[in-house]
Amino acid sequence: MDPTVVAQATGDWAFVLDNAPYLLVGAVLTVVLTVVSMLLGFLVGFPAGIVEVYGGRVSTFLVETVGIVLRGTPIVVILIFMYFVFSTPSLTLGLFDVTVTLSDAFIASVLGLGLRSAAYQSQIFRGALQSVDEGQLEAARSVGMSKLEAIRHVVVPQALRRSIPGFQNEVTIVLKDTSVVFAIGLAELLTRSYDLFVRQTTAVLEVVLFVSAIYFVLTFITNRGLDLIGSYYEIPGGEQA
Amino acid sequence: MSDNEHTYLLEVDRVSQSYGTEKVLRDISFEMDRGDVTVLVGPSGSGKSTMLRCVNRLTEIDSGNIYLDGERITGPDVDVNELRKEVGMVFQDFNLFAHLTARQNIMLGPRRVLGLDKEEAGKRADEHLEMVGLTPQADSYPGELSGGQQQRVGIARALAMEPKLMLFDEPTSALDPELIGEVLEVMRDLADRGMTMLVVTHEMSFAREVASEMLFLDGGKIVERGPPEQLFDRPEEDRTASFLRRITEMHS
Ligand SMILES: Nc1ncnc2c1ncn2[C@@H]1O[C@H](COP(=O)(O)OP(=O)(O)OP(=O)(O)O)[C@@H](O)[C@H]1O
Ligand SMILES: [Mg+2]
Repeated sequence: MDPTVVAQATGDWAFVLDNAPYLLVGAVLTVVLTVVSMLLGFLVGFPAGIVEVYGGRVSTFLVETVGIVLRGTPIVVILIFMYFVFSTPSLTLGLFDVTVTLSDAFIASVLGLGLRSAAYQSQIFRGALQSVDEGQLEAARSVGMSKLEAIRHVVVPQALRRSIPGFQNEVTIVLKDTSVVFAIGLAELLTRSYDLFVRQTTAVLEVVLFVSAIYFVLTFITNRGLDLIGSYYEIPGGEQA
Repeated sequence: MSDNEHTYLLEVDRVSQSYGTEKVLRDISFEMDRGDVTVLVGPSGSGKSTMLRCVNRLTEIDSGNIYLDGERITGPDVDVNELRKEVGMVFQDFNLFAHLTARQNIMLGPRRVLGLDKEEAGKRADEHLEMVGLTPQADSYPGELSGGQQQRVGIARALAMEPKLMLFDEPTSALDPELIGEVLEVMRDLADRGMTMLVVTHEMSFAREVASEMLFLDGGKIVERGPPEQLFDRPEEDRTASFLRRITEMHS
């Protein structure tokens, strides 16, 4: 092989390795954004799914409408809206003697990604809640449980189990979608890799391979983790009763 | 109802019910004493399930009254969850909680509704598992049990609330023929212990042996009622005779 090509290739890998810490900081931001957004998405999306299935006419209509708007708006637009129109404040959190300041862009990102994920997660949970046979709800009512108790103790535990595959999907999507926070000035993994290969254009392939490997590891870990949770809570004898 | 009058355990008084414009129950009246086993028979769509569901108010009636132990249980002022503590129900499709073991299925009501602690509810579950002959299956999940075993758990789950009245809606219809016997045996046992039972079933030998009274329902009306010997051997109505003949042939 042409020695200059080899040298150049090695040089590009060296470039990637030199800048690995820069990329890893981006990866950390990607992970933090994903985790916090998924969490917010769950906290809002799960009750929303319950309202869509069991709510009254007005509450169901409201929740469905907000969901449709959030799912129908490009995520960049949602972020820009949060950041520039809604102008989220920054937030300083103190825990013991550590204080962390979350930038206004970070808050906007979490709200945007989180609420949009809530809109998708609500559909995952809605489907899962509806898939639990109504007879079980009726059986719970027939021993005198209130509708809320019956939903909580009978339907929800089964629906959560059935949500895991959809949830796995959603984590992967949010993980990749975090890249749009560049629109409001945050530099996570993908934005930083873009910065790098703009600086050394011969290293595009190396940077992309390296970054893809990081995405793969993250996706793999979360999927395997959720698989393990799924099999831990799997109902012996199967779902049907 | 005044106190010196005889109070029935269950009194259904001129009950009518409809889904939209479709009249399902038309002016149904009957009574049950404590310990009675009343078997409700009739063609598909005649309103048997609807009648049972009105008694624990899974379905609401349009007019008439239902009394349990002398107390009116219909009307907007009645707490349905209180009522349902007193009336157990067994479903055709078992409707067991799929994510809970047999024992946990039975414990859920006593814990959440009667407020028993885990230990008390567990003890109660074990007693009822024994009564239906499922002590070895206590920790099995519904998906690991046969249909007959699932239905016995369903019965134990309802009994664990210690109800005054048990409703059975075709408890053996979803079962393979060889599994029907074990469920009927549990029901027979329950009748012998003096439980008041309102049963929809096509098992005519069970009806003949166990029922204190049979009601033949057709088109939402009670066409004929009486002890099983009367309905089987000297029915007054032609419809009763032909229906019972048909159903007996089909199930033997
Ligand atoms: N939830 C419902 N909404 C509308 N109509 C209903 C509903 N449930 C029952 N019906 C109708 O009411 C009538 C009586 O139904 P019901 O289930 O009480 O009959 P059944 O005697 O139990 O019949 P089967 O032997 O088939 O179980 C039927 O015509 C049925 O279609
Ligand atoms: Mg029926």
